[in-house]
Amino acid sequence: MPRSGAEIALSLGVVALGIGVAAVTATLPSEGGYAGIGPNFIPAVVALGIIALGVWLAIEAFAGGWRDMPEHTDRFEPMPFVWVSAGLFAHMALIGWAGFIIAGTVLFACVARGFGSRRMVRDLAIALVMSVAIYLFFVKLLNVNLPAGWLEPVLGGAGI
Amino acid sequence: MEALNALLHGFGIALQPMNLLWGFIGVTLGTFVGVLPGVGPALTVAMLLPLTVKLDPTGALIMFAGIYYGAMFGGSTTTILLNTPGESASIATALEGNKMAKAGRAGPALATSAIGSFVAGTIATVLLTLVAPIVVDLALKFGPAEYFALMVFAFITVAAVLGSSTVRGLTSLFLGLFLGLIGIDSQTGQQRFAFGVPELLDGVDVVVLAVGLFAVGEALYVAAYQSRVTETLEKLKGSLLMSAEDWKRSWPAWLRATAIGFPFGTIPAGGSEIPTFLSYATEKKLSKHPEEFGKGAIEGVAGPEAANNAAATGVLVPLLTLGIPTSATAAILLGAFQNYGLQPGPLLFDAQKDLVWGLIASLYVGNIILLILNLPLIGMWVKVLQIPKDLLYAGILVFATLGAYSLHQSWVDLLTLYVFGLLGFMMRRWDIPVGPAVIGLILGPLAETQFRRALSISQGDPSVFISHPISATLLAITALLIIAPWLYRRFRPTSS
Repeated sequence: MPRSGAEIALSLGVVALGIGVAAVTATLPSEGGYAGIGPNFIPAVVALGIIALGVWLAIEAFAGGWRDMPEHTDRFEPMPFVWVSAGLFAHMALIGWAGFIIAGTVLFACVARGFGSRRMVRDLAIALVMSVAIYLFFVKLLNVNLPAGWLEPVLGGAGI
Repeated sequence: MEALNALLHGFGIALQPMNLLWGFIGVTLGTFVGVLPGVGPALTVAMLLPLTVKLDPTGALIMFAGIYYGAMFGGSTTTILLNTPGESASIATALEGNKMAKAGRAGPALATSAIGSFVAGTIATVLLTLVAPIVVDLALKFGPAEYFALMVFAFITVAAVLGSSTVRGLTSLFLGLFLGLIGIDSQTGQQRFAFGVPELLDGVDVVVLAVGLFAVGEALYVAAYQSRVTETLEKLKGSLLMSAEDWKRSWPAWLRATAIGFPFGTIPAGGSEIPTFLSYATEKKLSKHPEEFGKGAIEGVAGPEAANNAAATGVLVPLLTLGIPTSATAAILLGAFQNYGLQPGPLLFDAQKDLVWGLIASLYVGNIILLILNLPLIGMWVKVLQIPKDLLYAGILVFATLGAYSLHQSWVDLLTLYVFGLLGFMMRRWDIPVGPAVIGLILGPLAETQFRRALSISQGDPSVFISHPISATLLAITALLIIAPWLYRRFRPTSS
């Protein structure tokens, strides 16, 4: 079995995370009152655990790869991944000022595009109907606050 | 008969019109989302959690119990007709159920699964009613040392013993334990790993982690690796009715599966995965038609599906009486309790009688509603399965982001969600289980509290964990679970 660069990188990533946790733990106080241990004790245990597991993974990775891995034959396709990610970032940027409905519609269309849809107009129409329905259900019926954003003049405030 | 009185009181609460309505909405939504391919019970519960934030705790938890049960029922429909097990517990069903559907016997397969789930769920709920008060009495004798030992035992079984790799399971668990440390230390008020970010001071929310790992991670994975793959949906042809022969072969399987599933659910053995496989193996061994197995044997659907539901109910025993989640789904349910400032455990049975027994009673009601929803209305759920993949994942992500955003109305939670999504993508790709991380996040802080409490009581003397017999026994079993497989591998007789 060939050595996998990804497995080596992930193993070392786990070690690095453990070292990071340990570094932050070193700044925590150790005052513990009656228990004799403070808020830094369990973080230290967790940090050591993560480092040890990272080393264990790295040993497996260098010695012929992680054990008992399932067969993986599918090829990674970057474009669908990028479309889904782009949709999530656009949603993140839009939701605060453009509002839930617009952000949700954009997200929906991007994800559908990522999964191979070529019917942008249909996707946008479905997305809009669904977002409006979810918005009204949550805001008017369940009283959960969602941002109206640009559509505020049309939608009005919370409550029926 | 104390349990019976409490249960009758619970029915008085569960049958109030509003609670009945919440229960009905819960099972319907749970079934709907559970039917969606790629959406397992854990994700269903996590995605629907934001729906309940403004409800009173009793109504919300009744709705939640409905969602939990509904997701179980809905998942089996998908497995039988689409052969994409949404969770490991459905794999056994997929073996026979999908074969039956291919042979034009989808109707009886769905029927034995729905009726079996109802029978097992109801018997298991009776057992829950009887067992819970006994465990509560026992749990009242537990001190912090015993709780800590029990939690360590749960950690090790879900992370190290189950799954294909001990080291990857433990890595997932420790990742969850680390995420659980983020926020304010409950004992001293010390900030840990929050770096002053207000959204992090509250700690990592279990909804964001679960939805990130399960929904965003899954969407990224399927988009990158399987966006061109299309599954074949088996048609629902012919009668839904089971023949006399089907009945005769199904009911012993349901009962045996309940006997297997419930006890496995109550111990920390990772939920439904082991009992469904055990039930499948049992039925295969006992069947008068072993040659049918692998080609669509009805016992192979009846057993695992009943075992799945019995185990799902069994999981509620440690969750409600001890506050210990033994599956990822249970960990999210525990998060739902915590949202209302409720900590499940023996004291909850005393302080929140209405809530606990109303919840248990609603399980009986939920089972009946589910049987009605799943048999005559099965055609409706089959339509849900026809939603094309592009629209399906787009819709799931709109809902997933909504849940994360509604926590603090902040984009920071959405960024956290994406980071967990990337993590979930990598874990899925490199076969690291996600369940232990979710359990670690929820159970880690509770274990730390008990650990420090135990040491406070003993004035810092760590021998408290081995001088208490219950705690010592649990820790010894845990140690054995880790060492035994290693010893076995090391010293097993080599055949070659």
